[in-house]
Amino acid sequence: MESHESPDRAPAEVAPGEAASAISAIGGSRSWLADRIIAPCWYHLAFGLLAGGVIAEAEIRSWTLFAWSVAAYTVGCGALGWWNQRRVGVAMKYFDARTRAVFAGHVLALSALIAFACWLGLDRGAHGAFLAAGVLAVPLTVVAGRWTDNLLRARLQAGQ
Amino acid sequence: MTTAARFDEIVHAPNRLQICAILSAVSSAEFATVREGLGVADSVLSKHVRVLHEAGYLDVHKSTSASRVRTSLSLTRAGRAAYDGHLAALRAIVTNEAFDASAHHAAMPN
Repeated sequence: MESHESPDRAPAEVAPGEAASAISAIGGSRSWLADRIIAPCWYHLAFGLLAGGVIAEAEIRSWTLFAWSVAAYTVGCGALGWWNQRRVGVAMKYFDARTRAVFAGHVLALSALIAFACWLGLDRGAHGAFLAAGVLAVPLTVVAGRWTDNLLRARLQAGQ
Repeated sequence: MTTAARFDEIVHAPNRLQICAILSAVSSAEFATVREGLGVADSVLSKHVRVLHEAGYLDVHKSTSASRVRTSLSLTRAGRAAYDGHLAALRAIVTNEAFDASAHHAAMPN
């Protein structure tokens, strides 16, 4: 099916229409790849539930249970990442300036949420502070995940 | 940094151009993923992979996981340079045509 196998064809012999359709095919491949890396809708929700679970669990005030929940969070995140890597079938550089900024913002927001829950729950003795922080962590994680996906998609479609 | 336009006949073949387009965006991709992207049979992809590999444009890595051999593909430095140069050449061809067409149109009497 090869149509252009002549080894010493000069660029001048390539019609502009042929060049344009080749560029269009490249765009098509990039779009296909960009669509492929977008995680299914439950993927970021699962990360959010894992993070929210660890934070909400602190409401019980048991160090043993907390240690187990952190271990479950670590294993869960690793398993999700591994599964997604297998599903997509590519290894790529996920972090550039923009995605790194979203990731840093997400970590800072979660840290602020946890700090606020600690102040309310441990210092002021308010009940349900960790539970509320855990619930808030879920949409926060989903938004950060979808945002990162969209940035990656835009980067791939731009051919960078 | 601007890439110098360099038309590359090895890269220009439609399927090989698509292979390079996919691999240029990632560090590496599995053989099955690239095959799915191109919508071709294993044998067809293997043929193009061999051509790119022999040209020094493509690395092929094989790893065994759970008794299954997984093949992943990645562009070499030379492959990335060839693809970038070829893409720049294609863009130059299209741009020159657009320029020529507009110049011709401007020269046409009303």
